[in-house]
Amino acid sequence: MIEVRNLKKSFRVHVKKPGLLGSMRSLFVRNWVEKHALKGVSFNVEPGEIVGLLGANGAGKTTLVKTLAGIVYPSDGDVKILGHVPWERKNEFRRQIALIMGQKAQLWWDLPAEDCFLLLREIYSIPRQKFHDKLNFLSETLGITEQLNIQIRRLSLGERMKMELIAALLHEPRVVFLDEPTIGLDFTAQKAIRDFILQYRSQHQPAMILTSHYMEDIKALCKRIIIIREGEFIYDGPLQNIVNTYTKHKIVSLHLEKEISPPNIPHEIVAAEPQFLKIKIPRDQVAPSVNSLLQSLPVADLTIEEQAIEDVIEALFRGEM
Amino acid sequence: MTRYFRLYLHFLRFSFSKAMEFRVDFFFRIVMDCFFYAINIAFYQVLFLHTSTLGGWNEEQAMIFVAAYILVDALQMTIFSTNLWWFPIFVNRGDLDYYLVRPVSSLFFLSVREFAANSLCNVFIAIGIMIWAISSYSQPLIWWKILLFVLLVVNGTFIYYMVHMLFLIGVFWTHSARGFDSLFRHLCLVHERPDGIFHGATRTVFTTVLPFCLMCSFPARLLFEDFQLSVLLHILITTMLMFFVLRWAWKFSLKAYSSASS
Repeated sequence: MIEVRNLKKSFRVHVKKPGLLGSMRSLFVRNWVEKHALKGVSFNVEPGEIVGLLGANGAGKTTLVKTLAGIVYPSDGDVKILGHVPWERKNEFRRQIALIMGQKAQLWWDLPAEDCFLLLREIYSIPRQKFHDKLNFLSETLGITEQLNIQIRRLSLGERMKMELIAALLHEPRVVFLDEPTIGLDFTAQKAIRDFILQYRSQHQPAMILTSHYMEDIKALCKRIIIIREGEFIYDGPLQNIVNTYTKHKIVSLHLEKEISPPNIPHEIVAAEPQFLKIKIPRDQVAPSVNSLLQSLPVADLTIEEQAIEDVIEALFRGEM
Repeated sequence: MTRYFRLYLHFLRFSFSKAMEFRVDFFFRIVMDCFFYAINIAFYQVLFLHTSTLGGWNEEQAMIFVAAYILVDALQMTIFSTNLWWFPIFVNRGDLDYYLVRPVSSLFFLSVREFAANSLCNVFIAIGIMIWAISSYSQPLIWWKILLFVLLVVNGTFIYYMVHMLFLIGVFWTHSARGFDSLFRHLCLVHERPDGIFHGATRTVFTTVLPFCLMCSFPARLLFEDFQLSVLLHILITTMLMFFVLRWAWKFSLKAYSSASS
């Protein structure tokens, strides 16, 4: 459904020295720097798949989403979405996609949501009966039927985001781009939106690309993730495999029955207290090492943990893995 | 086409319900614009105290011309002005995004979505001035010429919008349109002057690439001078060419849209 080959996007930005002198200088002499937002990325997304796009701020997530939605032109590469080239902006393409940006509102501030939805009905030529059924269904599912007639600016952030979701899905898009849809929302609203997205997926099997800074969103919605760093993909695969792929160690915690002097263990000790030890053990040596620890130490309790997925991903963002 | 018409009805409905909310602004605009109209009429009346013709027109003819550009002003304020005021800000802030993903012309959407309902009274006042100017004309005027004149003045409003938009489109590259906008505002004063006062190269410019004389002067000529098909064709062909240029420029400039990051 989404096919991306060697997609590149670079911007030319001018760098200015600070202060008034720098500004005056830049009036006459401009130093241009080529900024590579996407350095040749390739991937596919199938119907019904929600791909989590992760990366630090400025990694290129939003640029990628905007290029796929046809908002910005790429510098090079090929993209086919539902058989269309996005930046040609054919109406047939635009009728089948939706874009939701948590940081930019699409609904008109001074109008009630329902008025905006009526406008969208016209824009997408949705038959009247189908529109009303769909709107009733979506607003009931999200629990905001009562708020449909209230001006957008009087709604809470959570309610507004739910309205944005309805606005984006009324025309039943087959490709959906969600750019930080839960940003700034409280836990209940985040969960409501996640459940709603899952429900939409099971009914319509769209291809979805989701960017979010909340791991909860990613864990709940995406089986597959792509990690982007400085315009390049550094991981594209199942969320669950990321820990196996990138962590060489497991953490073994031991609660001891009595105090002991520092033991002689051939692994890195991460934390040591009188009756507690935390040891980092290479994945392939976990079983024999634990076995020998149990024999040599007075172990009262033992846990073996994977490194937290959040930590692995953060380390990947920073380029530490 | 009918879809665009229905979309426009929605824009109208939105604008009216919004306009009623801001009462002070509503009345302030009317007072402000009446002031502007009075000054313009007075300006030409004072001129005619000192001369009997201006650019070949007598006072009655000049008043019809003044009524024409007052109507153009009222119409463009009502239909386009708010949109064109926001447009450079949208480009700069990266707010074009949602307009570009909708299956409808982004140029249409951005140009007419905000109908200034609180300027609509001024359109009625301008129509009133127009009726006054035409009815005080002492020579007989043919009905179809009056109709053609009114249509061409409306067409003049469209030319006004297109030239303004073409000036603003540079914002995709410069990220600030203040310079272009004030240049346009200075230049567009030309449409408030009779075309007869321009000669040579200036005249060529103001009747072709910057067709300010085609907004009110040429239509006024068609009304009270002998009908010339060439003048009518000149207006229509220039309008069409400008429309194609604008559409092409719009498509071209969107390639430079960088969509400021969220």
